Amino acid sequence: MAGITSYGAYVPPTRLALATIDGRPPKEGEVGPERSVAWNDEDAITMGVAAAVECLRGLDRARVDAVFFASTTQPFREKQAAALVAKALDLRRDVATADHAGSLRAGLAALRAGFDAVAAGSARAVLIVASDCRLAAPGSGLERSFGDGAAAFLVSDADVVARFEGGFAVADELVDLWRSERDRFVHSWEERFVLQEGYAPNLVEAVRGLLERSGGAAGDFAKLALFAPDERSHAGAVRALRIERERVVDPLFGRLGNTGAAFAPMLLAAALETARPGERLLVAGYGDGADALALRATEHVEKLEPRRGVGWHLARRRSVRSYDRYLKARSLDSREWEGGGDPGLSATIHFRERDEDLALVGQRCRRCGAAQFPRQRVCESCFAKDAFEPLRLSDKIGRVVTYTFDFFFPTPDPPTIVTVTEVEGARIHMQLVNALPQQTRIGLPVEFSFRRIHQVGGRPNYYWKATPVPGGE
Amino acid sequence: MREGIRDRVAIVGVGCCRFGENWDQSPADMIVDAAYEAYQDAGIEEPQRQIDAVFTGSLYSQKGPHECSDALKLWKPVTMVSNYCATGTDAFRCAAMSIACGLYDSVLVVGYDKPKDRGVSGPSVMMNQVRDLPQTPAGWFALCAATYFEKYGAGREDLAKIAVKNHHNGTLAPKSFLKREITVKDVLEARLISWPFGLYDCAAQTDGAAAAVLTRSDLARRFRADPVLVKAVTVQAGPNPQKDPGNDFLSWKPTAWAAADAYRQAGISDPRAEIGVAQLHDCFTLTELLSYEDLGFCEKGSAKEHIASGVFELTGELPVNTDGGLKTFGHPTGATGVRMIYENVLQLQGRAGARQVKDARLALSHNIGGHPTACGIAILGKE
Repeated sequence: MAGITSYGAYVPPTRLALATIDGRPPKEGEVGPERSVAWNDEDAITMGVAAAVECLRGLDRARVDAVFFASTTQPFREKQAAALVAKALDLRRDVATADHAGSLRAGLAALRAGFDAVAAGSARAVLIVASDCRLAAPGSGLERSFGDGAAAFLVSDADVVARFEGGFAVADELVDLWRSERDRFVHSWEERFVLQEGYAPNLVEAVRGLLERSGGAAGDFAKLALFAPDERSHAGAVRALRIERERVVDPLFGRLGNTGAAFAPMLLAAALETARPGERLLVAGYGDGADALALRATEHVEKLEPRRGVGWHLARRRSVRSYDRYLKARSLDSREWEGGGDPGLSATIHFRERDEDLALVGQRCRRCGAAQFPRQRVCESCFAKDAFEPLRLSDKIGRVVTYTFDFFFPTPDPPTIVTVTEVEGARIHMQLVNALPQQTRIGLPVEFSFRRIHQVGGRPNYYWKATPVPGGE
Repeated sequence: MREGIRDRVAIVGVGCCRFGENWDQSPADMIVDAAYEAYQDAGIEEPQRQIDAVFTGSLYSQKGPHECSDALKLWKPVTMVSNYCATGTDAFRCAAMSIACGLYDSVLVVGYDKPKDRGVSGPSVMMNQVRDLPQTPAGWFALCAATYFEKYGAGREDLAKIAVKNHHNGTLAPKSFLKREITVKDVLEARLISWPFGLYDCAAQTDGAAAAVLTRSDLARRFRADPVLVKAVTVQAGPNPQKDPGNDFLSWKPTAWAAADAYRQAGISDPRAEIGVAQLHDCFTLTELLSYEDLGFCEKGSAKEHIASGVFELTGELPVNTDGGLKTFGHPTGATGVRMIYENVLQLQGRAGARQVKDARLALSHNIGGHPTACGIAILGKE
């Protein structure tokens, strides 16, 4: 039976307090209602990679037969995100990839497609990545309710932690939330219309449809994870469905925010973090209709190696110091020069260097054993020529050899921490993120995080950064 | 054992334009200023007849070797050399080699660069790749600070003294850009560029050009009575220090390797005692500090004591950067190595005015550039 074998999540540690949007930043140490914000080196793809790395922790990556990437904000209109994610994860080359896009339901749709593929026998293990990083107009209500984040699931029929029991979907044509080809920000029609004619009837219809089809009641489910655009709508749906409070998965408003196509998947991941064997779980999503899926936790749910889920990430936070810095990080500030016009990095060079740049694959010398990065023809240590085997460094632990704080490099949050980091004996000149200058020290253990390094050429360019191993400081 | 070219080549004329934000000068204007001063210094009246070839060095030139030959209307064999911050020294090396091997009798060397035409106040942040960012020179050279400070207990105050010294020396050099005394407090309180470098730990950004006329030693007295001889000249490549697994971030290998070669060529066994004056590559204060040690002027880790006791000041035992160095002249990359040779020639000939050092018989100049991955050293001496 197809089900979820593993899961992971990612929430950017940067949080924007709603009070900061209003020009009243909370005092040091004070935490009020806030939302997660992807920083300037993050987007739907980098967050998706982070969640997927977590999902695949301790598992053989060669098992993955397919990658489905779901988002409304993958940075390219034309060019697949799933293939890029597969490359960053250093997956097999014969992996099937597809993007699910255009709807807030894309995340659950991809998950459902994963279950179907495994059930049909066309893939043994499918990696589902749902990630969103939606942009709302500065000062708008949506800016306050949105959040950024990602979830990932490995779907297969082996060591399943939650079995897929069935789903129900309705489709509905409604212009309630939309973003056209030329829009930068998400539009919304009148709030009351969206709630009364869009969200509430659709979500309730999908959940009821699932319950009817399975001949059960809401009370049969230990955990119900419901997408909602905001807290009030969520409370309305819970009331309409007569769900007891203790069965409702916390929708995390005021902490995470509505993470779009990743929201329902992230709530499902959060539910799995505390699920007990035998418990039934329901997850429902909304967007141009609604989806509801039923799952049942198995005895494996408590055996899965601990991983960084939604709860872990929510506990790791830092406040954005001013609204202005948020605007800079999301490129919403006024600029003297509009970017673009230049062709950017050579796509030919990108093609040659994608193993290094996207998958952080270096090499090990077969003669002397020295690891090096990037790839080169002649060994740095023993001068052997062309005697190397590839070595994936992205999943290894490194340490800081030396560092500096660069105030000159443009960033919304100077200084940029720059290190020489040693991993497996290879040395890499690399930025350090999620660290403060005072934490930075020689010997600091680091892991690696896939990031948007810059947007030269008007397109996102990706590479890895070092980040302190949590708890290793 | 290689024979080397010691004493085969002589410098008979040097020139240097005023370094600075030369808004109203083109590269050609600066090249003409420097080259014609070198002609005059060498007593050359007919360069078309008296110069056999030109070696020019520039990192930023868009026009290539023709920029120099067109400026001077010297229709000669022209070679453009590029070797990071050692570009000027390497152009000088190629010129010296061409004479030593007998290909030419007299050769003009011109180093120049014009970074101030780019519209940015500091160095450019290059975004031509995704790895190794940020690519800022301050960030590259600062990578030895955390390690060196931790191991040897030095700190920003020790670096600051180097900036104070060089600012002082710059006030005495007519062609320097910055002519202002500063204090250790000024250095420590300036805004940070890349820790531990504040603004005053960094070289200025300027335009400039410098030139030298070289000839066979046996022909030198036809030009002037006090020629300066080339004792050694070398450039040395090293591994990218950021990738090099053997790098301890306490010294820069290319400097140590180039120094060993240069001292062998010049027959120097005790550099601290034998060298009378030195121009070191102070792109950042720490670069000068590490160079004291990498060049063997003092033991590794001991630089701060020698800084404190004034060894490298104008009146000290081994004056360093007598004209104010890159700190006050700025670093128009191709010009710098040749500007240092200009200063060393003036010092050896007793023509350095208020900044003249006493009794120097050997003068060393040093550049290091890239990540740093290249070093150039030239040692000059009296006959």
